[in-house]
Parts: sequence; C-alpha cells; structure tokens
Amino acid sequence: MDQTIAVASAFAGINVVLLTVLTVIWIRNYRTFRTPLILGLVAFALVMLLENATALYFFFSMKMFYGNAPSVQQAVAVLRGMQFVALLFLTWVTLK
Amino acid sequence: MEKALWYLLVGTRGGKNRVRIIRSLDERPRNANQLAEAIDVDYNTVRHHLEMLVEHNILEKGGEDYGAMYFLTDQFEHNRETFENVTEHMEET
Repeated sequence: MDQTIAVASAFAGINVVLLTVLTVIWIRNYRTFRTPLILGLVAFALVMLLENATALYFFFSMKMFYGNAPSVQQAVAVLRGMQFVALLFLTWVTLK
Repeated sequence: MEKALWYLLVGTRGGKNRVRIIRSLDERPRNANQLAEAIDVDYNTVRHHLEMLVEHNILEKGGEDYGAMYFLTDQFEHNRETFENVTEHMEET
C-alpha cells in the first residue's frame, strides 16, 4: 500500500477508536440522564464512526483507485488528519 | 451557565458524580473529604470534579486552606431550573 494511504488509514483507525470512546461515554450518560441532547451526541458519534469505517474499507479495497493519483492520496490523508485533530479535542473535553 | 451545566453534567464522563456532588452540597456545605465519603467516590476523583465545578462557577470554595468547605454559588441558584431540567429523568442511584 502507498505510504500516504497508509497514513490516511492510520488516522481513520485512530478516529474509530476515539469515536468508540465517545460513543461509550455518551451511551452511559444517556442511560443516566435520558435527555434528547445525548441521543443527538450518540447519533453523531455513531455516524462518524460508520463514516471512518467506510473510509477504511475504501482504503483497503480500492487501492487501485488511489494508486495512480498521489494528489488524491494526499488530499485524503489531510482530510483524515484534520478530522483526527477535531476528534482529539472533542474527546479531550469529554473526558475531563 | 446553562451551557456549562449541560456540558459538565450531560456531555462528559464524570456527569453522574457531578450531579451527586451538587445534590450533596445542596443538603449542606462539605469539604472534599466529607464529600468523598458522602457519595462514596475516590477522594482524588472528587477533587477533580470540584475543580471543574469551581472553574465553571457552579461551586465556590470557602477559604484556601486544607479542608475548605464548598458551597453552591448564587449563579447556580439562579440557574437551578436548568439543573432540574438536566436531571429531570435521571435514574436514582
């Protein structure tokens, strides 16, 4: 696999872990508080989780698609990286 | 303050224990040690929650020395309704 796509896959993998942490925290809080706000947070985290899992699937199954397009690979890696930073902040304030 | 209450109680990991701290201090002011005992939570965990709650003006500390008592702020009293809304459907522990 090309290195750039490997980087993008790593980001997507970490994002899945962060989103799993967030989902677990928010589901626990929903069980405690039963307010609609948390249902929204749970839904948000689950969809993002699915989105990252789908991205991972694409990275592994459609290597050919990215193979001859280094600029696409870079864009994909940068997007995953930015999402990682965003989720890192969200996880940090949620764990506090 | 309303948003802080939602964030601190509902959005974060320690929400449940923070509610229990607020309820416990609503009965009467206590220091960190007494709180840890009252709600049966580890002392250091209680200290962390107290810090967060003071930082967001929900609690205030009476004095600086060891064993200082914690009180609910006037600002919290003004927003008590939000607190009631947040914990409305909370399951009793």
